[in-house]
Amino acid sequence: MSSQYSDEDFDAGSRVGEDHVAGQLPHEPPAGGVRSELTGYAIGLVLAAALTAAAFFSPGSQAIYGPGIVMAVVVLGLAQVGVHLVFFLHMTTSPDNTNNVLALAFGLIIVSIVVFGTIWAMYHMNHNMI
Amino acid sequence: MSAPSSALRTGQDPYHLGHAPATGVPEYTGHGAGGPAPKRVVVGYGFWLFILTDVILFASFFAAYAVLVHARAGGPGPRDLFDLRTTEIETACLLLSSFTCGLASIAVARRSLLWTEVALAVTGLLGATFIGIEIHEFARLVAVGAGPDRSAFLSAFFTLVGCHGVHVTAGLLWLGTMMAQFRAKGFAQNIRHRYLCYSLFWHALDIIWIGIFSGVYIIGVLMQ
Amino acid sequence: MTLLGKLSWQALPLTEPIPLYSGAAVGLILVAIIAWVAIRGYLPYIWREWITSVDHKRIGVMYCILAWVMLLRGFIDAMMMRAQQAVAYRAPGFLPPSHFDQVFSAHGTIMIFFVAMPFVIGLMNIIVPLQLGVRDVAFPTLNSVSFWLTCAGALLVNISLVVGEFARTGWLPYPPLSELAYSPGVGIDYYCWAIQISGIGTLMTGINFVTTILKMRAPGMQYTRMPVFCWTALASNLLILAAFPVLTGTLAMLLLDRYLGFHFFTNTAGGNSMIFMNLIWAWGHPEVYILVLPAFGIYSEVVSTFSSKPLFGYRSMVYATMAICLISFTVWLHHFFTMGAGADVNAFFGIMSMIIAIPTGVKIFNWLFTMFGGTVRFKTPMLWSIGFMLSFMVGGMTGVMLAIPPADFQLHNSVFLVAHFHNVIIAGVLFGIFAGYTYWFPKAFGFVLDETLGKWAFWLWNIGFWVAWGPGYITGLEGMTRRLQHYDVAEWHPWMVVAAVGVLIILCAVIVQIAQLVVSIRTRERRRDVTGDPWGGRNLEWATASPPPPFNFAVLPNVHDQEPYWDMKIYARETGHLATPEPDYQPIAVPRNTPTGFVTAFFAVLTGFSLIWHIWWLVMVGLVGAYVTFVVFAWRDHDEVMIPAEEVARLDRANRAARTAALQQGALA
Repeated sequence: MSSQYSDEDFDAGSRVGEDHVAGQLPHEPPAGGVRSELTGYAIGLVLAAALTAAAFFSPGSQAIYGPGIVMAVVVLGLAQVGVHLVFFLHMTTSPDNTNNVLALAFGLIIVSIVVFGTIWAMYHMNHNMI
Repeated sequence: MSAPSSALRTGQDPYHLGHAPATGVPEYTGHGAGGPAPKRVVVGYGFWLFILTDVILFASFFAAYAVLVHARAGGPGPRDLFDLRTTEIETACLLLSSFTCGLASIAVARRSLLWTEVALAVTGLLGATFIGIEIHEFARLVAVGAGPDRSAFLSAFFTLVGCHGVHVTAGLLWLGTMMAQFRAKGFAQNIRHRYLCYSLFWHALDIIWIGIFSGVYIIGVLMQ
Repeated sequence: MTLLGKLSWQALPLTEPIPLYSGAAVGLILVAIIAWVAIRGYLPYIWREWITSVDHKRIGVMYCILAWVMLLRGFIDAMMMRAQQAVAYRAPGFLPPSHFDQVFSAHGTIMIFFVAMPFVIGLMNIIVPLQLGVRDVAFPTLNSVSFWLTCAGALLVNISLVVGEFARTGWLPYPPLSELAYSPGVGIDYYCWAIQISGIGTLMTGINFVTTILKMRAPGMQYTRMPVFCWTALASNLLILAAFPVLTGTLAMLLLDRYLGFHFFTNTAGGNSMIFMNLIWAWGHPEVYILVLPAFGIYSEVVSTFSSKPLFGYRSMVYATMAICLISFTVWLHHFFTMGAGADVNAFFGIMSMIIAIPTGVKIFNWLFTMFGGTVRFKTPMLWSIGFMLSFMVGGMTGVMLAIPPADFQLHNSVFLVAHFHNVIIAGVLFGIFAGYTYWFPKAFGFVLDETLGKWAFWLWNIGFWVAWGPGYITGLEGMTRRLQHYDVAEWHPWMVVAAVGVLIILCAVIVQIAQLVVSIRTRERRRDVTGDPWGGRNLEWATASPPPPFNFAVLPNVHDQEPYWDMKIYARETGHLATPEPDYQPIAVPRNTPTGFVTAFFAVLTGFSLIWHIWWLVMVGLVGAYVTFVVFAWRDHDEVMIPAEEVARLDRANRAARTAALQQGALA
């Protein structure tokens, strides 16, 4: 069973090269220069501002069907969160980012369970109390 | 089995999930098998987890608010109290401060002390304006007898929005400390990592504010 | 506003003999210990090597010491309660109601927050980085801060015995009883601030371990090659991240009600006390899984080692663990089925509560199949595991009974419920802790604990537990309510006496455990673990010396499969030499020790105490002090210490020599 191994196989010193706990490595600025980074943040700002303005504008205006305004505000809010995540927090779908996306998904699941579970249970409890 | 040392030298994260290798990294990684990740990745991920726990904290306040929003004890409700103009100005301040925080990140990556301090100072001013407006709003509410001890709805409102304000204030204190640290220690690696955490924090506060102004202020005025 | 807020001489229990004498006794013991340490000159060593340490192994040991000490305090509370209930049949007993209420509240609070949590976190601290094949956790200084904040919380709870009073509401302070109108004293405030402070520490631990497990592993250790203990540690810490913010938020709302007159949970102005129940149990249920999942991981390690077989069903173990992690967040309402949510809501949560028993059953079968066909060695850790499998089964099944809402309407808040959760916590969590303690003690300290006394302790605990809590199931079904200071139902009285006998048997067990420790320390030269692998272990923690050097591994291991250390031993046996050649020793950087954790906790205690007694100027001092501590820490220039290559070589070569000698004698199991 062990014949597949050899003397160098169990010791990572020969594999990793530098042995360290967490590397002290230089972090180069992302390629593309200042202009592309600035553009990213600027697009994020403009999009977020537009969505925010729409959210504040919609209640008073006639632009959206009345009973749908609440849903519109919610959707606009979620879109703004998305803009922040992508343009300001640089969340991507690259494999480097998967742990971060999974952590975010976990957090969102917990938030949904806590908020909606509370609302559901408390609504029923309040209803039965009255 | 080729040595993965090139992975660590380029600062890529050997802990990405999925089957595709991380960009520029040989096949040794792909299942988190390249050894401990570089410090920047570790610090960033740890702080991201902290941000998510903060979001869950706000969710518990939000859940309480959602249940108590109609418990007004005969007192004033959202439509009587909220002035959306004020909220718009606060939102603009915070959104712009998020943008300038991003500008500061660019300056830090370029090691420019002048632009870093300028961008951070503007961020701080915008944040302080936000807090000033919010304190003014709270004082106005208390003065008209709509303080947090008036009803459960107001308790929940003051706690949710106030908790966000406390976080922003703490963020301003942190910001001042970071500005001092950049001047005293330059762009040392641990300072840059700390700044990464700070910018994550500041952006997250803006994201939470989106939830607050949408869910509490706008929807509050709509639904009464 | 006086200088000392609400604090005055009345806070001392000068008219109450029990807290007065016990407080005096504890005070004297503390002074004696500190004096002994100081006179013998150990203080610099303890400060340098333990208090300011950021080494995960040292911090883990300190967590376990805290837990052991608090176990004694919590157990004394248990004995007082059993004694009271044994004599208080148509009689007032010896504990007046106000005192009895504080005893059961303190018992539960201490056992959950300051015994079970620190023990489990301590074991994870010592072992997880070793099993992952790395040098330390992701954030070593934060680890130290977490530990000392937990100590700060424990200190505040213990101070409440002699300065003021403790909460009288049970281990969870339900409103409206916990509101200012009905609990005007400082007891609830002691509880809330102690839990808030230690809760921050626990949250930091969660961040630390999730980051470590996901981002820092030895090269080659894919997720599917991690030991099952690390998987359960990951699940437990994910639950900490998800649940503890809810606890912080809910207690914050209660504190706002009490301090600033808010109306979250009050009876007037629209407050709703049911929200407290809902949110606190949304934390409370994941909390018990935070405790039990690492215990399940310990059983996986122990059962596979002492069956001399790889763990059966690795993948199903992982799936079961992560399933428990996720489902545990969907069952919390079963703690208040009777509070009027209605049939639909109750049905959903009841079904989810029953479903969560399934992955646990999968685990039990996996352990049984691990034992089947293996060469089972009945050492003490294995006895604890087998005892767990038998006793925990009953507790789990009564849990499924309680998950049925109609049944729960009869059993809610009865002693049946109390027997159930003592069953699962003692036979599940505590037995796992003792198994891990006995199993990993040689790794942490370099010598094995006495085996005979260990076996005695196991049998006394197992028998004592059933004698103490079997009656609880019976009287619960007969209708006995929990937390009774006195009662007048004749049928219950003999059972309460039996239960008191049970707690005396457990007392013998605890005494035997203390004796085991003392005897083992005194005869430690005889029972040295020279190779670092006393049990024939399978995972990487056994590849290090006992105790491991500060840097854990001279060179990080390369991992090819599950149970990597077992592979190394097979290879060594077949080739006649150690699996790794002697490396080219390099200097190793380790994190620098710092008093940050200790100083932060000092200011936390100061702030908490002054908030409790409304000494507002002292609160400011505490907060400013904490902030200054952060800044001083943030300003340091050197955060690492280099261990020179010669030192690394000396430590590593000693262990390599011992292992080579054992290998040549055929003694490297």
